Amino acid sequence: MKRCLLAIVTILFSSIVSAEEGQFENLVLSHAPIDRSDVASIKRGAKFFATNCMSCHTLRYLRYDKLAQEAGITYEKMPLNVTSWPYGITPPDLSLEASVRGVNWIYTYLHSFYTDAERPTGVNNLLVPNSAMSNILGPYQGEQVLVNDPAAEGVIYHSVEWYGLLNLVKEGSMTSEQYDATTIDLTNFLAYASEPYYAEQHRIGWWVICFLIVLTFMLYFLKKEYWKDVKKKD
Amino acid sequence: MTEQVADKKDQAGVLGWINKRYPLTDFWRKHLSEYYAPKNFNFWYFFGSFSLLVFVSQIVSGIWLVMEYTPTADGSFTSVQHIMREVRYGWLLRFMHTTGASAFFAVVYLHMYRGLIYGSYQKPRELVWLVGMVIYLMLLMEAFTGYVLPWGQMSYWGAAVITSFASAVPYVGNMILVWLRGGFGLSGVTLHRFFSLHVIAIPLLLCVMIFVHLVALHHVGSNNPDGIDIKEKKNSRGIPLDGIPFHPYYTVKDLMGVGVFLIVFCYIMFFAPTMGGIFLEADNSILANPMVTPPEISPVWYMTPYYAMLRAIPNKFFGLITMASAIAVMFVLPWLDRSRVRSIRYKGMFSKVAIVIFVVSFVGLAYLGHEAVTPLRTLMSRILTFTYFGFFLLMPFYSKFETTKRLPERVTE
Repeated sequence: MKRCLLAIVTILFSSIVSAEEGQFENLVLSHAPIDRSDVASIKRGAKFFATNCMSCHTLRYLRYDKLAQEAGITYEKMPLNVTSWPYGITPPDLSLEASVRGVNWIYTYLHSFYTDAERPTGVNNLLVPNSAMSNILGPYQGEQVLVNDPAAEGVIYHSVEWYGLLNLVKEGSMTSEQYDATTIDLTNFLAYASEPYYAEQHRIGWWVICFLIVLTFMLYFLKKEYWKDVKKKD
Repeated sequence: MTEQVADKKDQAGVLGWINKRYPLTDFWRKHLSEYYAPKNFNFWYFFGSFSLLVFVSQIVSGIWLVMEYTPTADGSFTSVQHIMREVRYGWLLRFMHTTGASAFFAVVYLHMYRGLIYGSYQKPRELVWLVGMVIYLMLLMEAFTGYVLPWGQMSYWGAAVITSFASAVPYVGNMILVWLRGGFGLSGVTLHRFFSLHVIAIPLLLCVMIFVHLVALHHVGSNNPDGIDIKEKKNSRGIPLDGIPFHPYYTVKDLMGVGVFLIVFCYIMFFAPTMGGIFLEADNSILANPMVTPPEISPVWYMTPYYAMLRAIPNKFFGLITMASAIAVMFVLPWLDRSRVRSIRYKGMFSKVAIVIFVVSFVGLAYLGHEAVTPLRTLMSRILTFTYFGFFLLMPFYSKFETTKRLPERVTE
């Protein structure tokens, strides 16, 4: 067992040193400009998700998913159960994706697909090199190519965002602005899927804080009243 | 005169009926209305009552969480999501509990720091300190067993690393490890027994120990920022001149403190329950997977000082010894301090510098234990581990041979 401990500690240290060995070390996540109180945006995102993503990705923990199952849309009928996914990788469940990766990661990921002939899917991703995800978004976004391959040019010392590395060569069915708005909606929806209580939490939160501030003021004066005679006591 | 009237009132009616059979009024007087606490308590004296408040809050939110939680490897993760999404205000109960865990350590650390700077562990309060240390140790176990329950990646791998410490014990290590995990590997069996410990065994012991902590405190009386004994100056009725009844004076004062504490607590609970990954780690939103090790395993912030020490020592066995000693040395603190005075206010320059070094060491180690390892950070961890122990082990010398200030006759304000 001592060996096991040693193994665990070794794994631990080695994994910390080589944190994440991405191809694009200088890539920083773009800020996702989502407004989590924008219900319309969440709904648009949900609609996009249902029509484009849901055939492969589940949202197991979302209440909607429960409803869908009860309505007869069971996991068995989803392609999720096919045994021949490319590379044997099952598309991950996305109900907690925003909690695990963060909204900025999702937003950046959705933007950073580029054409790569060497991949069976025809596309690659800056954030997840050799991602098994197929080119679902391509028809909307258009075709992006890698213009500034850091591996070819040697090390770049400044940080870049996805648009510093990719160039749109062919427009898709959406304009850049439309595609950006769509990814914002989708990210917003996944944030909702991760924390559906978020809106209620924030709404209640302010009332609780306000109540406590008033209460604390009253308690302060109560204390003051009681303590008036303390200093005089001898 | 007034006391006689009060006595008569206690013996009449329902209260009288109870008092003849149970010392209700006696208890009230001994621990609240006639427990004389020094009148110069300052900011640092709030954290004891805050700890009690958080303890009660943890018990209450815990009761409701257990109603919906499933302690099995298959059902645990899903049941937590069920609580967060489908149980009415389930997210509130869970965030109350998770924020409460971090808040508990925050207030307990500040409570212990208060004891440290005002010498509250010195004679005759050694037992108060020792019982408090036992509570702290049990709290660490409670937090650890609780963190395993959501059965996320961090739960699983944190538990794997921490239980594996047992194997370092000579001869019986492997036996203990198997006994602890309930098998040769970490599994649902482990989860189930940790659930039992987290929900029944440790809270029950905590309840008893907190009671003992308070009984011991009320037997010897509270210390104060001046570290002088208020019982030495009493009036004709035997009441300390600098003492005021805990109730109503400190109950109203603590209530005011509770108001402020709750504002901070609720702000975090409603608007930053994960604290950017410090209170709730992102990797714990992934279901436990024995096949995939997370890129970085680090304990929650309140355990990181000891974790930094473990990582700083190249030999794992001595690393564990160091970690255990770091806590053990706090137990003997009452016998390390040889100062003539209790409070930092009257101690000499050495003690003051030592306290600063201690705080820097502890906070520094907490930071380093949370960060990834680099050669510089390992070096810093080693230095801070050294100064951490230096604070305690050199205390018998620097506290004895320094010039202390003259103590006042009465408490100052």
